[in-house]
Amino acid sequence: MKDQMQDEVLLDVQDLTVRFNVGGGGLFGEAKYLYAVDNISFQIKRGETLAIVGESGSGKTTAALAVARLVEAYKGRVDLAGTDFLTLNDEELRQARAKMQFIFQDPYSSLNPRVRAEKIVREPLDNLDAVPESERQAIVDKLFEAVGLHPEQQRLFPHQFSGGQRQRIGIARALATQPDLIICDEPVSALDVAVQAQILNLLRKLQADFGLTFLFISHDLGVVQHMCDSIAVMYMGKVVEYADRLSLFNNPLHPYTVALLSAVPSVDKERRAATKRILIPGDPPDPLALPKGCRFANRCPVAQDRCKTEQPELNEVAPGHKVACHLVDERAVSPL
Amino acid sequence: MSDLNIVPTEPAPVARHPAAEAWEMFRRNHAAMVALVVLSLIILVAIFGPYIYPTDPFDMVWAPFSPPGVDGFILGTDYLGRDLMAAIIHGARVSILIGLAAALMSVFIGVTVGALAGFYRGWVEEVLMRITEFFQVLPTLLFAMVIVALFGASLPMITLAIGIVSWTAVARITRSEFLRIRELEYVTASRASGAKNAKLMFRIILPNALPPIIVQAALMVGSAILFEAGLSFLGLTDPNVVSWGQVIGSNRQYILDASYTVTIPGMAIFVTVLAISLVGDGLNDALNPKLRQR
Repeated sequence: MKDQMQDEVLLDVQDLTVRFNVGGGGLFGEAKYLYAVDNISFQIKRGETLAIVGESGSGKTTAALAVARLVEAYKGRVDLAGTDFLTLNDEELRQARAKMQFIFQDPYSSLNPRVRAEKIVREPLDNLDAVPESERQAIVDKLFEAVGLHPEQQRLFPHQFSGGQRQRIGIARALATQPDLIICDEPVSALDVAVQAQILNLLRKLQADFGLTFLFISHDLGVVQHMCDSIAVMYMGKVVEYADRLSLFNNPLHPYTVALLSAVPSVDKERRAATKRILIPGDPPDPLALPKGCRFANRCPVAQDRCKTEQPELNEVAPGHKVACHLVDERAVSPL
Repeated sequence: MSDLNIVPTEPAPVARHPAAEAWEMFRRNHAAMVALVVLSLIILVAIFGPYIYPTDPFDMVWAPFSPPGVDGFILGTDYLGRDLMAAIIHGARVSILIGLAAALMSVFIGVTVGALAGFYRGWVEEVLMRITEFFQVLPTLLFAMVIVALFGASLPMITLAIGIVSWTAVARITRSEFLRIRELEYVTASRASGAKNAKLMFRIILPNALPPIIVQAALMVGSAILFEAGLSFLGLTDPNVVSWGQVIGSNRQYILDASYTVTIPGMAIFVTVLAISLVGDGLNDALNPKLRQR
């Protein structure tokens, strides 16, 4: 029974595309669109964690916001335990939000400065009205304990907390409605390294205690390798490599992934010696004038003519290991 | 649990309400503090004055044009021999009441329009902002005169006229604050936890947008008092009540013979509006966190 539960796909995202109108349209000429997220698909099994990694501007945060429908997707499907989020009407969506909660990147701007901590954590319960009012305070008490905050801190305002404490409040808020899925949008990137570890450990403990499923957005592969079961690497709105954690870290295939991994600092002397630091020159292409071929071609150290003219598909080259690169075949050997 | 480093963190300092901080800042502004004392006195006079100085401002109690301090009339008498002191004290009530009511009204209209435009964007914003611009380009005094002339010069109508022509600034300020705050993460967080639009607008965004609106409202009380004075100077006023502007208006022919009949109510308006402006400035400094460092 437990194994069955483990194998159930909780979140199934298909061909998610988000585009922004960046001028034009209406009466004055043709509308111009920026495709921030371009046809990405992924699945997360119940109780597991999928990380989306990429540099700034890769579209990972936009993808997360679109999954939670905090940004409207242009097309695609976001299926959470059988409910397609993108087709719900306003009221259905409001109710369905109980099952999908969000932890924000910046704990300094994600808490309303005029509201006391207890009310921030209580807000999802008040909004959704699923729990009788008399029971809400008890839930808030439990949540404060679960995230490691003192009960007497409930009466304080956000500016009286440190960054790590604020993020704990954000986590407690996300847990309030007992969601199935929690989307963590770079939950530790705004925190000190020492506090980062505390928050990551807290997230892992909560995942074990409450059977949570995480969609984890990060630019930090060091953080990701402690958190995730599988990883999707994004570059310029596309998924370039998608694999389970071990395959990706042991056998990165896409040149971009290889370069990213080589930049992860390590205290392991042998590993440090074994990995050669690969620098990728240049800047990402202009998102409004994307190249015809592979979007990484202009920075790729092994790019060939074909890469500049033909867009690579995301192909499965080994069981559960997908990569979008012309130079990787069934032998699953990285060109780099 | 200990191996996971989940130790409860140390207790934070005692809660200090943002309002307490704002008051601290306000107190440091001496001009604003003096203005606040003056304004409080004027408001006390407006409330209790008529009981302490019950002389009817419409009664002809003495010879006309008796100068201030002569014959026992502190501020003298006007062209009909009415007590000017009584007019100033009784008029304070009407002037300040109209100022407050008109400011409240324009805040109400302005916040509603600005909030809807800033929150919903798109065509709602287009339509509401075009309407706002329409009211902005109207010659305000003329438009207010037309309203009062058409619907009668009663106090509610004068208040309405002033409110209708002066809400545009509040609408623009509210809209710009909404545009800024709606993009902040705590608003997204509220939406993600299932808040309805009405709650987002009025319980989440509006309280955070209030500081500049409060400042604008305070300044508007001053300009509404001036506006009322302007209307009554032109005779567009309720003849059954006395206001400062009305005293100026009714004595304007005698400005060269008995200038005090015009300058004394003028001073009352000047002092009140100045005090309100200074208090408004003080509020601006106290409520605007960007100025805190100064």
